[in-house]
Order: sequence, then C-alpha cells, then structure tokens
Amino acid sequence: MTVAHHPQPETLMAYAAGTLDQAYTVVIATHLAMCGACRGEVAHLEDVGGAILEKEAEAKIGADALDRLLSALDGSPEEEPRPAPIKRHEGVPSPLAPYLKGGLESIEWKRKGPKAWLAELEVPANSHSRLVLLKVGAGAAMPEHGHGGHELTLILSGAYNDRFGRFAAGDLADHDDDVDHQPIAEEGEDCICLVALDAPLAFKSRLMRVLQPLTGL
Amino acid sequence: MYAASMNEAPDRGSTPVQAPQADASALLLRVAEHRDKQALSALFTLFAPKLKSMMLRLGANEALADDLVQETMLTVWRKSHLYARRKGAASTWIYTIARNLRIDHVRRLSSRPYADVEAIEIESDAPSSQQIIETNETVSRVKAALAILPKEQMEILSLSYEHDLSQTEIAEKLGLPLGTVKSRMRLAYEKLRPVLGDLQ
Ligand SMILES: [Zn+2]
Repeated sequence: MTVAHHPQPETLMAYAAGTLDQAYTVVIATHLAMCGACRGEVAHLEDVGGAILEKEAEAKIGADALDRLLSALDGSPEEEPRPAPIKRHEGVPSPLAPYLKGGLESIEWKRKGPKAWLAELEVPANSHSRLVLLKVGAGAAMPEHGHGGHELTLILSGAYNDRFGRFAAGDLADHDDDVDHQPIAEEGEDCICLVALDAPLAFKSRLMRVLQPLTGL
Repeated sequence: MYAASMNEAPDRGSTPVQAPQADASALLLRVAEHRDKQALSALFTLFAPKLKSMMLRLGANEALADDLVQETMLTVWRKSHLYARRKGAASTWIYTIARNLRIDHVRRLSSRPYADVEAIEIESDAPSSQQIIETNETVSRVKAALAILPKEQMEILSLSYEHDLSQTEIAEKLGLPLGTVKSRMRLAYEKLRPVLGDLQ
C-alpha cells in the first residue's frame, strides 16, 4: 500500500508523547498499522521521550523499593498475560478491531443524506473526542460532520479527491477547522473513512482522581 | 521541587557527560537473554529515580509514584524479550513502557492501540533495525539538541512529554492560541528532525 498523505509532524509528536485523546489515538494507530514510514517516524519521536527521561530530575527512592521489586519477580509470570486476541476481519487493522468486532459488514449505518451514512463508535465516557465512521456513496460529496476543532480523517476503503489531492486507503487528512475543502468520493466504489473529532461537551476527568484505584497494588 | 528542570541549563559542561545509554542497553539485553536480576537491579538504580520524578510531576503522591515505578520496572522484566528483538535506546524503550502504563491507567482507553502498533512493528519483516542500532547515539544527540532549543519550544515539549498535557491543555495553561502551540511544536520538530536519524 502506498500512502501519500500522512499526519502532521506535531500530531505524530503528540502521539509519541501519549497525549492524544482516545479517538485521535485510535485513528493515528490505525494509520500506523497501514504506514511503515510513520511507524519509523514515531520511533524517532519516541527517542525525544527517551532523551527527556534521561534529563529528568531524580526523586528519592525508598530503601526497600528494590527489594520489593526483586521479590515481586519471583511471583511474576515470565510474560505478561495477554488478553484474548480480538478476532479480526478482512480490511480491519488491529488498532481498529476492538471497535469493529463484527467487521466492516456489521456496521450499523445511520443515514445522513442521500448518499452519506455515519456510524458512531464507542469510546469511554471520559473521552473528549468522538470516533465515527463515514460512508460516502461513489461520486457524492462528503457531508459536514464536525463541530470544528482538530479533525483526523483516515481512508479505509475507496477514495476521495479534494484540493489537497487524492486520498485512498491508508491516506490520512490532518486538518484544523479553518481548512476549507470539499471532498468528493470517486466513482466506482463507496468511500469509507475513520474520523476523529472534538467532542467539546465531554467532561474532562482529572488525572490523579482516576489514578487512585491503582494505589492498592 | 522537581518541576524546575524545564528551564535547566544544559547538563554538559561543569559535570562530565553521562553516557549511561550503552550500559543500559547492555543491561537490558542481559535481562532479556539471561534473566539477570543483577542487571535489572542496576537498571532500577539508573531509572527508578527519574521515573518516580516523572510520576510525581504528573501529580501522583509518594505511594502511587512508587507503585507506578514498580510496575514499570516489572514490565521491563516481563517484556525484555521484546526489547531484545527491537533494540534501540534503553531509555526510549523504558520511556514507552512508562508512557503506555500511564495511558492504560490514567486515560483508561477501552483498547490498547500502542500495543497493537508495537505488535505490528515486531511482526513486520522490515525491522527498522539499522535505524534502531543507531538510536543510542541518537538519544545523546537529541539531548544535546534539546539543551539548545529555544525556551518557548522546550516548554511545549516538556508540557507534552513530561506533563502529559494535550495541545489544547497546553494552550489553556499558557494562555496561547492552539495554533501557536502547534506551530511551536512544529518548530521544535524541525530543529530536532535532523538529529533524529534517517529520513524515510
Ligand atoms: Zn504515514
């Protein structure tokens, strides 16, 4: 698969830093599953994280911390228990598989126009972003679907054209809301896209409050 | 007290340059290949204080930060065979473990996209291995490049990589338009990119 359109560097950087919200993370991870070049790029950007960790200040470690670790090793399985693999369907990259357990065929599309359908994928309640699938009929224009903000659109099948060029499977459009464009699906095949967008009404959860359950380790 | 490092002067110069990188990689390989607990202890000594500082910075209390450090190092032990296949800089690999742990526990994603991508990378026949062997040097070069990055760009990187803030949250915190945060991040990227290794 030849990918022509990639995420913006600052988006990949945010992915490497681990600060993208869920829907954006899933869209980028799905692009990475389809794009070796960006996987290499993310590996480089993770080196920035490694360098920053090396520069990090040092906090005092309790005298018993190392013993605690060593004694935990003995009871620890050699490998992390793996979650049961999720059954993957044709054309569904693994980062997307948990959201499409029945494959692309089983999606419950909601009609949004004469040749446009939308399906909302489930993200946790504390998410600030929405993950949706869009299907646009061959030859039709993409409907308005955002509320503004940062938008990532990954083509899963089919293709569309806009003033930025031709976007086919694996290509990703990384736009802010001030970008004006009108994608038109190509003739011959419906165009299915995975889209991450801001969900401005979602509640923000505070970091350490959700971390608390970990304290009992 | 740990929050001050953002604006710290470069740690070259008065103190000798530390080069724990190559050592740390060798230690990790000993853990992977020989299940060497002494090597793991040495890695703990190198990284636990930094990891703990990072967790405290994110707002964890002492006990929680200690637990997260334990869990990170336990994951290093369990997954070292994966490091042995990918190689690369030890600090980068440990950084990704701590990052993923933080994401699993803090953000509570309902899936594990980072683990999926890692599995794809491991399966893929064209390992970026030649790039990966070079990364010990890369991390040292990145450190040097970070030290001379303009302050306002380093601030954005620090808030992102160390403080776990999204671009939107950084914009709110600094009272800047989102576009400015993104363009500073892009400028930092453009300064760092030449030292990060081969362009694909
Ligand atoms: Zn790409």
